[in-house]
Amino acid sequence: MATVGLIARAAEPAAAPLFQRNIAPFLETHCADCHDDTTQKGNFRVDTLAPDFAKADSVKQWEKVFDKVATGEMPPKKKTRPPQTETTALLGWIETQLKSGGAQRHAREGRAQRRRFNRIEFENTLRDLFGADIRVAAQLPEDGTSHGFSTVDEALTLSGVQMEKYLEAVDAALDTALGAAPPPPSKMRRFTYMTVDKSGQFERERFEIGKRLGKSVAIFSSNDQKPPWGIREFSAPVPGRYRIRVKANAYQSHGQPVAFQITSGFFFLLKGAPTQLVGYYSVPAGTPTVIEAEAQVQAARDSFQILPFGLPKMKVQGGVKEYAGRGWRCIGSRLKAHSTGSSGRRPAAPRCLEISIPPGPLRPISTASCGNLRRAPFRRPVAEADLAPYLALASAQWKKGALFEQAVRAGFKAILVSPHCLMLDSAPGRLDGYALASRLSYFLWSTMPDAPLFAAASTGELANPQKLHAQVERMLAHPKARAFTENFTAQWLALNQIDATTPDRQLYPEFDALLQFSLLRETRGFFDEVLRKDLSVLSFIDSDWAMLNQRLAEHYKLFAKDGAPPATGRYSSTVASAPLAADLDLQRVALPPGSHRGGLLTQGAVLKVSANGTTTSPVVRGVWLLERLLGSPVPPPPMNVAAIEPDIRGVTTIREMLDKHRAAEQCASCHNKIDPPGYALENYDVIGGFRERYRIVAAEEEPAKTAQGRNKKPQIRFKPGPAVDPSDKLPTGEAFHSLEEFKRLMLARPEPIVRGLTERLLIYSTGHGIEFADRATVSAIVADAKPGNYGLRSLIHAVVQSPTFLNK
Amino acid sequence: MNTLTRRSFLRATGATLALPLLESLLPRGAFAAAASGPRRMVCICTTLGINAENIFPKKAGRGYELTPYLEPLRELREDFTLFSGVAHPDVDGGHSSEVTFLSAAPHPKSPSFKNSISLDQFLLEKQPASTRFANLNLTTSNLQESLSVSRTGVMLPADDKPSVLFRRLFVNGTPAEVAAQTHRLAEGRSIMDLMGKEARRLQRRVSVHDGERLDEYFTSVREVEERLHKSQQWAAKPKPSVAAAPPVDIPGTADFAGQTRLMFDLMQLALANDSTRVITFRIQGQQAVPPVPGVKEGWHNLSHHGKDPEKLEQLHLIELEQMRLLAGFLAKLKATQENGASLLDLTSVLYGSNLGNASSHDTTNLPVILAGGGFPHGQYLAYDPTNNAPLCNLYVAMLRQHGIDAGKFASSRAMSLPDFQAA
Repeated sequence: MATVGLIARAAEPAAAPLFQRNIAPFLETHCADCHDDTTQKGNFRVDTLAPDFAKADSVKQWEKVFDKVATGEMPPKKKTRPPQTETTALLGWIETQLKSGGAQRHAREGRAQRRRFNRIEFENTLRDLFGADIRVAAQLPEDGTSHGFSTVDEALTLSGVQMEKYLEAVDAALDTALGAAPPPPSKMRRFTYMTVDKSGQFERERFEIGKRLGKSVAIFSSNDQKPPWGIREFSAPVPGRYRIRVKANAYQSHGQPVAFQITSGFFFLLKGAPTQLVGYYSVPAGTPTVIEAEAQVQAARDSFQILPFGLPKMKVQGGVKEYAGRGWRCIGSRLKAHSTGSSGRRPAAPRCLEISIPPGPLRPISTASCGNLRRAPFRRPVAEADLAPYLALASAQWKKGALFEQAVRAGFKAILVSPHCLMLDSAPGRLDGYALASRLSYFLWSTMPDAPLFAAASTGELANPQKLHAQVERMLAHPKARAFTENFTAQWLALNQIDATTPDRQLYPEFDALLQFSLLRETRGFFDEVLRKDLSVLSFIDSDWAMLNQRLAEHYKLFAKDGAPPATGRYSSTVASAPLAADLDLQRVALPPGSHRGGLLTQGAVLKVSANGTTTSPVVRGVWLLERLLGSPVPPPPMNVAAIEPDIRGVTTIREMLDKHRAAEQCASCHNKIDPPGYALENYDVIGGFRERYRIVAAEEEPAKTAQGRNKKPQIRFKPGPAVDPSDKLPTGEAFHSLEEFKRLMLARPEPIVRGLTERLLIYSTGHGIEFADRATVSAIVADAKPGNYGLRSLIHAVVQSPTFLNK
Repeated sequence: MNTLTRRSFLRATGATLALPLLESLLPRGAFAAAASGPRRMVCICTTLGINAENIFPKKAGRGYELTPYLEPLRELREDFTLFSGVAHPDVDGGHSSEVTFLSAAPHPKSPSFKNSISLDQFLLEKQPASTRFANLNLTTSNLQESLSVSRTGVMLPADDKPSVLFRRLFVNGTPAEVAAQTHRLAEGRSIMDLMGKEARRLQRRVSVHDGERLDEYFTSVREVEERLHKSQQWAAKPKPSVAAAPPVDIPGTADFAGQTRLMFDLMQLALANDSTRVITFRIQGQQAVPPVPGVKEGWHNLSHHGKDPEKLEQLHLIELEQMRLLAGFLAKLKATQENGASLLDLTSVLYGSNLGNASSHDTTNLPVILAGGGFPHGQYLAYDPTNNAPLCNLYVAMLRQHGIDAGKFASSRAMSLPDFQAA
């Protein structure tokens, strides 16, 4: 607080007289009519606006004035325009003040604030420190977000409850690292996967979804509901790591592979019990393939479930014996589940952390006993004096009678929850080598620097732009860089909300877990491809290629049997085999003309997180698009306006409801911006399927169409409803009639898109929102990226080399 | 002495509320509020709304006609008040508003949202707990999400396993477990002590801006130390023993009714044995199909009914089950006697949803019930549906019933809701 006061005084002499002479009269003449104490339009007042560029609140308000006047939005068109010279003078003055205020603050305090780790970073850091499979994120409270990211200083507050949880997490991590108890002996067991009922009949035969083939079984259904198909002979004696081995092949599949899923959980009584995905696998036709997986079993009594995918959900027609359709065959005797120990320890792994008890008579604990934990958690060299309090703590515990290991452990525990370990920090000004190494590492890996990066930090070579560039290249090529793709896209595109909705089973019967898994993979894979090949970030808006697997190609109705795009047909079920070799792995595929695909906007993951499971709203999707892809935040709606209530009976379309809304003047100013991008996506349903008509619920007796056409039973209750109309016009007046046309309009103005993404990268990597003073950095990065057609990899290099990144 | 009003007595005694009130201090022949004993507060939020058509009667006032959802509460009619036309001003953002039901922090979905202190935590700040557990935060989901928010805007984790909770509340550890716990608490305190010193030492070396963060760190460390200290004291004292059998957890997320019932039973036990006096309970709407006869779709899907009559019918079954469970909980509290008063009269039970119309994610016109707590009940109070009354006005009235004259809480604008007066 004291410093804030100092800055205010320092800024005042320059600001005050000019303010009184030129600025205050401008505000009085052109703004005060609507923005004084009596009117306060838009909750904004200029009469109380002080020329104080040190306080965050007033800085934000001045930024608002600058932006509104600079874009010409204010004063409103209906009012008298101020002379251009006065406007220029006002903008010039505000800009100078904001810049110098920001520069002073940054010099004194630094731009980003010291912050704690979020729970993902903390888990990764502990894992790297100990080199052990440590999982503690799930037991830590969820982190807040600010500016859309959970790496931002403002969001990462700390409370007593969190501190307590961090202590517990560190305890659990030390248990794992020190190996608290010897692992129980592991047993190997075999299961037939051929559950029989009381009469001795193979249950799946009775349900007409599978049959016995000598020593193996064939399964023809993907139904996981009735009954749940857990491995009944197995029930985990203790929670822990288990290994499962499955020998299987695709059956009667005309050479096509069949995918399957392994989950762990409790499958026998209740539907909806929590299950953990072990993984998706696929087996080719012909010789059986052995798939081996290791998984964490959460609770005693849990088992595994193996479920083929992409097969019909219903029982087969005409009896299992003669059935000639696609199936999945499992060699019964090769299915094994085997415990590898308790509490998440890796089998047969040596203790990751050794505490060496000094020989001879017991002495107070010294640094020699503390192994690699002496320095690494600090992420920079540590003076003996800085370690002394921790050693003293351990010694005191030891003197009080704790066992040696227990005492040293208390010291470790303290180090790991200390502000040195738990918080990312640096001194104001340019980052030193170690602080830069940490910033880089948490940006691209979401974890602490590795040995080569520490080495580069210690020699000071990161100050050399070429060396820094080489480090970034090395880091992006490292497997740990997956954390960047995963965590950045999870927050940037809200993919972390992919589980928040379950599509309505009546309206979207084609949805299944494999699709969701594939959708997530698709978007991450697409981002990876753009990143790896340094493709233009405008590919996020549109591309003539996609990353697909078999399930996605099927879902997007992209390729018919002969590899050609199918004739468009609503709810067509003509798709069979796409020209894709492997089935779960993504492949880069050139999109055929008229595919209605390309870029992020047509990807199911993105379309799912911007819908509610039953219906889509152009408002929600419009806001999503503006905020996330165009970097243009939308103000919250006024409270006295009721939200639009969707109607899936087909009586009114969302457009009819929204148009009423938009006719009102108070709504129009924002909805003219929000609705158009939302309407452009109207042809895509809640799981990313292309639609020309809305699906609406059909009454029981009406003949309803099925989505896949594989089942004859009229169990699905939807029918084509009103036609979709994706047309609208931008606030600038340009009209569009399809997403393709809308994309072209967006691509005609690439700067806002690149600017938006650049800002997001800067926020995510530096852990701080974009300030006025950062705008120059952003503009420079965007301008420099233009000749290279805005390659993503180049953009990341530019972000890393920017003064905003290189300074606190 | 008789001239002392109950309120001024409460104000004067502050934290010593745990002591039984002297009979002579109470106004004679007063409302049910005259019940003596420590006051409790229970706040419950069901996160997928309650279909307004089935809960709100057509006419407000005392003689309102019971609606389908109020039918299970028939016998308790004089023990609760139903409110409509209430909301948290500036709270929007659909499901995001789950985290602001008790905090009323504006715009929970905005990118720079920061939550603020919730009603229960505010109460505990003003009246530090003297029970073994300062509060319980419970949920039916397995994500540890609660309704409770610290002053720094952090959501406090919730308990989801009744069996674990039962052990913590009522089962004494073995001597070895107690010894391990004692060691853990002592070690934790010495670590926290060192961390406090480290934070202060570092604070001298860093900028003011960063110093604020270290200050936050320091405060957190102090909080933990205090809590460990209290736990040390309680560790020596035996836990209350109860006749009830330990509950068996229900796996999964589908059976919300079974899970809610287990939690309600534990809540009643915890309140009756004075293990805690403040409880929040988040009944999390789930994706799964609940095992309620006649329900075939997932709950969340049904809440987005889009006016489909068949979905509305299934939703009705789920929500009616919820009301039956609430009625059962309230009846149990009412039947529990403490020093001649019913536990319900000593416990303010807030029950509501963060969503008014879940189908459109609307966060206005919230359904809210306040039961017990010694308030004069028996009415349906309907406020303006287009210009809602701030729900925090009711929260202020609840705080006052606890003897806390905060004057203001979050977005409150008055000391109570119109026509609803504390006894």
